[in-house]
Amino acid sequence: MKKFLGFFAKITVILVLTLALLDVLYTVVYLQASNRGKIDYVYNSKPRIYDVVILGSSRANNHFVTHLFEEKGLKAFNYGMSGGHLFEASLMLKLMIEREYKIKNVIVEADLNLSNEKRAEGIASKFLPYIHSSKVVENHFSKEDDFSKLYYIPFYRYLKFDASIGFREMYKCLTFQPTNTLNNGGFYALKGNKGKMKNDIRALKPIKNKYYEEIKQICAANKINLIAVMTPMCSNTKGLDYFEKVNAIYPEIHNYESVVTDDHYFSSCGHLNDKGATLFTTRIIEDFFN
Amino acid sequence: MFFNSLSFAIFLPIVFVLYWFVFNKNKSTQNAILIIASYYFYSCWDWRFLFLLVFSTFLDYYTGIQIEKAKKDGVRKFWFWLSITINLGFLGVFKYYNFFADSFSTMLNGFGLQTSPLLLNVILPVGISFYTFHGLSYVIDIYLKRIKAEYNFIDYSLFVSYFPLLVAGPIERATHLLPQVKVKRNFDFQKAKEGVFQFTWGLVKKVVIADTCATYANAIFDNHESMNSLSLALGAVYFAFQIYGDFSGYSDMALGMSKLFGIDLLRNFNYPYFSRDIAEFWRRWHISLSSWFRDYLYIPLGGSNGGMPMKIRNTFIIFLVSGFWHGANWTFIAWGFINALYFLPLLLLKTNRSNMEMVSLSWNFSSVRVFFNILSTFALTCLAWIFFRAKSIGDAFDYIKRLFTDLSFDSQYLENERYNYELVLLIFAFIAVEWNFKHQVEPISGKNSWLKLSFCLIAIVALGTFSDYKEFIYFQF
Repeated sequence: MKKFLGFFAKITVILVLTLALLDVLYTVVYLQASNRGKIDYVYNSKPRIYDVVILGSSRANNHFVTHLFEEKGLKAFNYGMSGGHLFEASLMLKLMIEREYKIKNVIVEADLNLSNEKRAEGIASKFLPYIHSSKVVENHFSKEDDFSKLYYIPFYRYLKFDASIGFREMYKCLTFQPTNTLNNGGFYALKGNKGKMKNDIRALKPIKNKYYEEIKQICAANKINLIAVMTPMCSNTKGLDYFEKVNAIYPEIHNYESVVTDDHYFSSCGHLNDKGATLFTTRIIEDFFN
Repeated sequence: MFFNSLSFAIFLPIVFVLYWFVFNKNKSTQNAILIIASYYFYSCWDWRFLFLLVFSTFLDYYTGIQIEKAKKDGVRKFWFWLSITINLGFLGVFKYYNFFADSFSTMLNGFGLQTSPLLLNVILPVGISFYTFHGLSYVIDIYLKRIKAEYNFIDYSLFVSYFPLLVAGPIERATHLLPQVKVKRNFDFQKAKEGVFQFTWGLVKKVVIADTCATYANAIFDNHESMNSLSLALGAVYFAFQIYGDFSGYSDMALGMSKLFGIDLLRNFNYPYFSRDIAEFWRRWHISLSSWFRDYLYIPLGGSNGGMPMKIRNTFIIFLVSGFWHGANWTFIAWGFINALYFLPLLLLKTNRSNMEMVSLSWNFSSVRVFFNILSTFALTCLAWIFFRAKSIGDAFDYIKRLFTDLSFDSQYLENERYNYELVLLIFAFIAVEWNFKHQVEPISGKNSWLKLSFCLIAIVALGTFSDYKEFIYFQF
């Protein structure tokens, strides 16, 4: 039995060393990457200057056409992330401030995502390689239930989120394979019309969202003009009074839910297609940047 | 609680320590702790089904004794058929009732009689097919006077409920396992070390091969109507390696951890994808089930003794029953039927026992033929797996039709945000390792075992799929 315990101890040592070495390797690779996605594009950047920065979920990413801002002479970038929540939008803004970005205006899409304060695992995980090298990332995750595991157990974060920051992604970073996420100023256009235009958001209830509050505070502290907007849904949506409820909690959020109504302009019920996005962005520019 | 879960990583060392350091006085205390651990392990799925497991155990224990004690043949038969009926009854109710009710209703509707089947809203108790078959083999062996009844309930319970094999086999035989639980086990370092190696290799198969293949196979099978020929071909290959890695990985983990407790379980897989014909494949795939059907169905039906027509009939029966054992769906029956069809030419040509020894290749012409035989057997197996994996027979035929008619071999970007070809290198690496060590139970033991073990640990950690967790496929059976 003594022999076996020694044998088992050796395996444990090998395993711990493996975890530690792989953790270092992966982290080093991610610290060099800047062309895979919006998070590493910000994290591994020098200070940038923007007139307009767009934050939010896919309803920001697919709705704000960056080049229309540029045509107006505004330096802009769409940092909306598909699948993201306000947890990630807030952290993204904090990272920009940590990187000393000079930003005049932040447009944040704040509508359906106000209904929860959870992190979006697939997007939030992309911040985790930096948890030891950025105080902002560390602090942002510090109140999460699994923070201790993510922070202290070597390689745990890469195991838990292997689909987004595991071997495959690390390899693509290592070999400098770019994605199309950063094309078109971060705007991702949806094409066509997928047919059935209906949705039911009656189950969603807007709350006083702490990450939206954080974004407000950061903007105020850094003298950034915050423009919070609700973006369009197709007309065949049950529970459209959600947007009024948002205004009851946050009167300052501009309700643009109904500025585009024709199904022709939607790719799916919650997402405008490229034509709809152009229409919507044009209206936003007219209202806020004229 | 799955073998590759964090909770099991805590559970197993605790049981190991209790077994060897606290309850190591005699075989009764050793068996008692294993029984407690096994019942706890099983109750982690659904504690209510623990009663079913205990009842099934008690039924076979009691009827086994009654069969042995019975002086009159009629009494023996009564107890025997009582046990068979109740065992199969449970299996029928939990696993097959809805299938039969639904199929019967569909048939009546086909004749113009509008009916709606009365379906049961019950979940399938995990491992029911496995522990029922344990009990059945035990009772049948007593009835046929091959073995003596076991009078120690704890020992018998351990034979049925031993946690490494409880939920997905291997399907043990009383002649093999009971003698081992009847004696005190002494710690054997060499055996325990082999156990760790085998468990580790099983984990590689599960998390690196099976779960990774699963993400691609699912993306292809679930969207087969928009896939091209290359994707569909790769999808079938990925599923072949998913199910192999999943089930043989589970078996390796079961056998490995059992060695830690000084108990040997039956080998369940012997490199089946290196088979040169379907008969050989079935001697190497899910060996404990194949041999169960051989001993308790094929031979009682007359086996090979009654001439060619009987051989063919019996072969079709065991393949169809084997398919049906896997699940209450026509896809599994079709899968069994296809395998029986594959088997038929070998039976007619009497070549079904021509490849008994492990394959080897060298640089000569006959090896080219052997290599072609391996490839063609694998291709046939993959074709049959399509039925096993598809949601319906219609889906399986659509899949195969597209596979052979689309004839586009471009790379495709799948729903899982990966290209269809991305796993090919991993599969080839896995095949190379298995081929190189096909004469061993697992590739880690032998020369440079520490180096190989380290590589395996790195592979598990770096290449394993953990976020998109897949439970073991055979748990549903």
